[in-house]
Amino acid sequence: MSGASLERGLHAFKEAIDAPVASFFSSCVRCGLCAHACLFYTETGDPKYTPIHKLEPLRRVWQQEYSFWGRFAKALGLSRPVSDDMLTEWETLVYDSCTMCGRCSMVCPVGNDIAYMIRRMREGMAASGHAPQGLIGATQRAVTIGSPMGVKLPALQAQIRHIEQDTGLKIPMDVEGADYLCLLSSMEIMNFPEYTESLAKIFKHAGVSWTLSSEAFEATNSGIQIGVSEIAAELVQRIVDAAEKLKVKTVISPECGHAYMAIRWEGPNLIGKPFNFKVLHILEVLDELREQGRLKTTGKEAQRLTYHDPCQIARRGGVVQQPRNLLNMVADDFVEMPEAGTMNWCCGAGGGVSSNERADELRLKVFNRKKAQLDAVKAEGLVSACSNCRIHLEEGLEEYHMDIPVLSLTETIAEHLAEDKT
Amino acid sequence: MSKDETLGEALRRQGVTRRGFLKFCAATASMMALPPSMVPAIAAALEKARRPSVIWLSFQECTGCIESLTRSHSPTVEGLIFDAISLDYQHALQAAAGSAAEAARETAMEENYGKYILIVDGSIPLANPGYSTIAGISNLAMLEETAKGAAAVVSMGSCAAFGGIPKAKPNPTGAVSVGDIIKDKPIINVPGCPPIPVVITGVLAHFLIFGTIPELDALGRPMAYYGQSIHDRCYRRPFYDKGKFANTFDDEGAKKGWCLYKLGCKGPTTYNACATTKWNDGTSFPIEAGHPCLGCSEPDFWDGGGFYKAISTPTEDIPKAAIYAVGAGAAAGLALGALNRAKRDKAVAEHVKTTIDDLEKGD
Repeated sequence: MSGASLERGLHAFKEAIDAPVASFFSSCVRCGLCAHACLFYTETGDPKYTPIHKLEPLRRVWQQEYSFWGRFAKALGLSRPVSDDMLTEWETLVYDSCTMCGRCSMVCPVGNDIAYMIRRMREGMAASGHAPQGLIGATQRAVTIGSPMGVKLPALQAQIRHIEQDTGLKIPMDVEGADYLCLLSSMEIMNFPEYTESLAKIFKHAGVSWTLSSEAFEATNSGIQIGVSEIAAELVQRIVDAAEKLKVKTVISPECGHAYMAIRWEGPNLIGKPFNFKVLHILEVLDELREQGRLKTTGKEAQRLTYHDPCQIARRGGVVQQPRNLLNMVADDFVEMPEAGTMNWCCGAGGGVSSNERADELRLKVFNRKKAQLDAVKAEGLVSACSNCRIHLEEGLEEYHMDIPVLSLTETIAEHLAEDKT
Repeated sequence: MSKDETLGEALRRQGVTRRGFLKFCAATASMMALPPSMVPAIAAALEKARRPSVIWLSFQECTGCIESLTRSHSPTVEGLIFDAISLDYQHALQAAAGSAAEAARETAMEENYGKYILIVDGSIPLANPGYSTIAGISNLAMLEETAKGAAAVVSMGSCAAFGGIPKAKPNPTGAVSVGDIIKDKPIINVPGCPPIPVVITGVLAHFLIFGTIPELDALGRPMAYYGQSIHDRCYRRPFYDKGKFANTFDDEGAKKGWCLYKLGCKGPTTYNACATTKWNDGTSFPIEAGHPCLGCSEPDFWDGGGFYKAISTPTEDIPKAAIYAVGAGAAAGLALGALNRAKRDKAVAEHVKTTIDDLEKGD
């Protein structure tokens, strides 16, 4: 049997309702507080963007299959089953207007992890053929080519050659026994090669042994964004295999939000066994080096800088203090946006939204929230640590005619490395 | 005694030493939950305070409140303080009678208009003004007239504060509290049947020291005295916590002085200072004498459903049917949970693998 169908989708919904999801549904008091935590609601005022409402088809399956009165009503034919039309209607709510940023989970008074529920719900949406075309394409490329953007190894090798020629630094590839295995996102390979260059500079400066892998250089995980666990597991397994083959102690997730969440938090659960290596975000590694005194910088940025916390790194990942420590090394005038840190507002393009062209207009509209945050501090430079955020921040700033450069934190650190140390 | 005499002068004239006076100030400070650093300030303020004019009106009452106050053991400092106020009208205590008594009230009102303290004990009948009159004036008319010029009104006792026993069902006189009639004056409720003497002197002292009324709870009672329940300060509380109760008045538990909760003690729902200041010069209080608290300082205490009924124990055994119902509910819950688990396990077991070829709908 091949091909998505409503039947497969409903079956996947039944599977997706694990104990946490069931208890979350029965705990919901319908207070609607999650609406005000969601930028898709605050920027449009449309109640259909209330986070818990985006889960209505899954909630209905829970009610009809797993709750006493719901079974009763279903048996008497008093409740309508979830139909293909309903899923079509909800497709845009689940994929276009949710970045799984998890801000709603933070405010829920009964502690429902709504972002987790959306993640579970996407399993059924994907199985029923209601995933957006853009995400389907990205997922297929990730599995067949190895990158959602279709980046193949020769493209990476070409970039590496350029960097090596420009800087005279060596980019290590497939070095067995290195301490760190660095992953990259396709976005970094194609749009921000400076990131790889910065890694080379910083690690040389700090004397860190590291490597890339020709078999697993891609950190992103489309399987998680689209909501197919076995595809997500396959993508995680590639990295695990490469890390075990090269016998590295630590795998470093790049400046990408969901890649970090995928490999660090979902990874071991997806493949069903613990990793025998550590996973750290690049900011965690840099802050460790700073603490050990191995990261020396010189000079400071004079313009007023602020920092955009990528949701999966700060709110869902707990990396909040490290970027502040690092920024204070290189920024003279660092200001915090209102609600920065764990309650920061999403840029609007995470969770697969940026791969979904249908959502382009909406994600630029809700960028208005970020604009308000930036206006409040009159920032002259915006630093972040996620290339997906970065691309969208640049697009959003252009859309709203704001002349603020967007910087990568890793690259900013690399630019300020003290020269004297070799 | 002269009306212009200060409190300090009055006390010294009556032979109260400076030491005794300061002791009273310290006790007042601690009772009003003020910091010890306030004691000198209290002493200084009391020393200089002019004796305030007090008019005391008694309506539908039993004179128990004034008895309580006058029976405070002499010579207590509270008693002297009370002597030291200018009690210009109190028809149970004053020597004057008839029109001379009423003239005293009118004079006091005129001379101290806007400054005197009005104390009321007893409730006010609204069903028929003739139920209670003084010198041919109905309680309602006298209260309204006298309250007009008062700086503050003190409702002494549960009748004035909440209607008390006259208001108990079926309330034949249509009794109401002072607060039901007077709306435009600060009212301090000092309930109790009767209230503790030291509470009234404490409230007066607070008024003299600060010129304001003390902090009140939601029922208008001074927090310093009514801030904690009898139960929370009861010396029998450890028995309650251990579950040791007297079940009858002559059983082992009663003899050993265990908690009187099951005998109907209203201590948990009653806010008053009995358990700390006690009665009769600090001798004892009802629970210490082996009787449950009646809850006399709470509204409608007479209609609370029996003094010897425990506050919230089932009056009869829990019926067997209820136990079976709880059991059946738990069993149904477990069965439903098991059914749900089986259903989801089956769904997981029948998992259909989704590959990249399954993301789009088949033909």
